[in-house]
Amino acid sequence: MSAGSITLSPVGWRMFFGRNPMLAIGAGILLAFVLLAIAAPLVAPYDPILQNGEIRLQPPSLLHPFGTDNFGRDILSRVIWGTRIDLQIALIGVAFPFVIGTVVGTIAGFFGGIVDALFMRLVDIILAFPFLVLMLSIIAILGPGLSSFYIAMALVGWVSYARLIRAQILVLKNSDYAVAAVSLGFGRLRIMFRHLLPNAIAGSIVFAMSDAVLVLLSGAAVSYLGLGVQPPVAEWGVMVAEGQSFITTAWWITLFPGLSIVCLAFGFSMLGDALGELLGVHE
Amino acid sequence: MTNRWKNISRAAFAAALMLSASYAEAAGILTIGRREDSTTFDPIKSAQNVDNWVFSNVFDVLVRVDKTGTKLEPGLAESWTISPDGLTYTFKMRDAKFSDGSPITAEDAAFSLLRIRDSKESLWSDSYKIVDTAVATDPKTLTVKLTSASAPFLSQLALPNVSVLSKKAVEAGEEAFAELPTASSGAFTVKEWRRGDRVILEKNPNFWQADRVKLDGVEWISVPDDNTRMLNVQAGQLDTAIFVPFSRVAELKKDPNLVIHTDVSTREDHLLINHEHGALAKKEVRQALDMAIDKKSIVDTVTFGIGTVANSYIPKGSLYHYDANYQYPYDPAKAKAMLAAAGASDLKLNYVVNAGNEVDEQIAVLLQQQLGKAGVTVNLQKVDPSQSWNMLIDGDYDISVMYWTNDILDPDQKTTFVLGHDSNMNYMTRYKNDKVKDLVAAARLELDPTKREAMYVDIQKLAKDDDPLDRPLLQPLYQRLPQGHREFLPEPARPLLPRRYGQELIGSFAPPLS
Repeated sequence: MSAGSITLSPVGWRMFFGRNPMLAIGAGILLAFVLLAIAAPLVAPYDPILQNGEIRLQPPSLLHPFGTDNFGRDILSRVIWGTRIDLQIALIGVAFPFVIGTVVGTIAGFFGGIVDALFMRLVDIILAFPFLVLMLSIIAILGPGLSSFYIAMALVGWVSYARLIRAQILVLKNSDYAVAAVSLGFGRLRIMFRHLLPNAIAGSIVFAMSDAVLVLLSGAAVSYLGLGVQPPVAEWGVMVAEGQSFITTAWWITLFPGLSIVCLAFGFSMLGDALGELLGVHE
Repeated sequence: MTNRWKNISRAAFAAALMLSASYAEAAGILTIGRREDSTTFDPIKSAQNVDNWVFSNVFDVLVRVDKTGTKLEPGLAESWTISPDGLTYTFKMRDAKFSDGSPITAEDAAFSLLRIRDSKESLWSDSYKIVDTAVATDPKTLTVKLTSASAPFLSQLALPNVSVLSKKAVEAGEEAFAELPTASSGAFTVKEWRRGDRVILEKNPNFWQADRVKLDGVEWISVPDDNTRMLNVQAGQLDTAIFVPFSRVAELKKDPNLVIHTDVSTREDHLLINHEHGALAKKEVRQALDMAIDKKSIVDTVTFGIGTVANSYIPKGSLYHYDANYQYPYDPAKAKAMLAAAGASDLKLNYVVNAGNEVDEQIAVLLQQQLGKAGVTVNLQKVDPSQSWNMLIDGDYDISVMYWTNDILDPDQKTTFVLGHDSNMNYMTRYKNDKVKDLVAAARLELDPTKREAMYVDIQKLAKDDDPLDRPLLQPLYQRLPQGHREFLPEPARPLLPRRYGQELIGSFAPPLS
């Protein structure tokens, strides 16, 4: 397996799952969360936003395995429904920066010169600001809400992908097959996106996995600050924030959504590491 | 009441209880934890409760509110007389000294009163426009002439913001005075102010009641996080703390080393309705909204049963509160029918919520669900508290929840703000009713207490009928304990705490258990 190329044969799947327990664990965790998100209406025992004054702040019990919050809402149901939102945050929050960063990185790396200089200075400017500060200022301008979060993520997050891809493209565009493609008279677009990009993208895919963890945590952090998901929608970060004042009296409000964040992040992390090893990407 | 800053202060500084570790010795330094640090030592430049607590420690006023919180008693003015037409007040000054040793004269008192009226920096000018002249007829006599008779005037003099300041010290440099007052008329002097951290006070030996001050000093320490502040008291790093979160009261009461003091507060959380927005202009729609709200469940959830459902904009326990005021029943089905009859069956409301305020956010989530049952769609718009006040002023909202605590004994202050049709557009609701407007103005001038009470009962009834909801939602806080302006160690070992009528602090300090 040469560095930076994807050479998976169909028969290989079972082998490396067996040899690579991290991959199995990571993929397993993610799959479990995806299934949970899809099946939320079936699995969740209660309506996640239904308030019931009679059963406020109940500790975990058979009826409410994760207990209830200060509005008498079932924590388990809220955690399950929250899976949908948090997976969505992780996926959309990674997808936009990934696509934008990949396109920008490819163009910058391929053309070089003034195009490259312009894009890379833009990258430098964005990187000069602390990540969360920039995110929060963009959200503050756009107004609180998940869509603002996605927009902020797309505006800020693409720089890492752009740098990764550009570095790969810079190396690859002088390789024999790229030179050959040029001499065969292929168009620039074809060379960029069909010849160079597939060989340059492995590092970004691995990075996307660990980036998903970061996005997930940023989403939770932004919601925690009241700028992301708006009540009464169940989201893990919001749940942790809402439970904060009860942490000494009703620990279950914060513990279970907190653990869910940890689990999902762990899953992405494992998958990222395993993919990195598999694709021969060394961070 | 036109200045927005004084109102922001009320919205931004949340109420609660006071918690203290019980301890035996009364002398020494008392450390008090609170959410925020002071902002200034110039009383006219602030309207925030956090500042007023410290002002009460450092400065004295002409007239004080007594311990019960219902009557006025002499402060630096030993006695006073009022002319029959209610226009001229003559105060006889007590023999007292500033902390720098100079005597407190009628000249200082006149200076302080005129300064709060005239200074460009004053946040309180409007409230004291009623003062026509204030003259020291001799060093011990202050004569104040009003532009018109005013029932609440004496109550207004008890406000810490109109404390008697040393003319000499203030004129030596206002900016420096606001940083570190060189002469104080109250129980303590300011030794040091570490901005953002703490205010260090030490006993003023020249205070006229110095024999009643048993503490050597007080430290007001800011600990913004509620949980940390409670832990500090439990661990003994703080002697006492203000703002006990509602959710922690029951648990902390179980700690044998702690005493939680609770008291009736004048805080009321109001649901404000923008009368200029669409269907909300109809009285029936506003009444239907009231019926769609289960106030009891809000009180139970938000205050953990510590508060009560309020039925009048004049809080329970305050002067002229009308306890028999009508309360709309909780009836979502009827509310829905009323909304349909008024042509507002698919009402959509934009609800401006103070982000980060635990109480406000909880009320918002509850209201959203309750109004949903009556077919009203509520969109929550979380904004920063500094922004929400301006949105309300601009009318950029349908509904919102804000709270108010009274500053003075007399109901006139709040009445003017919520119903007097002044420059705040009746608590930003754009409520209009000329009958109520005229009654509010007349009640201010009426000097006969019986007639005045009848007028306030009328006002409360009318307001309830017109707009049940920009009147209060709930009134938090507890069983009644003595409250008042200050209490100088009524029991041998009880340390001094600042008291001011109506502020949330109230609640007496821990009597030692040993």
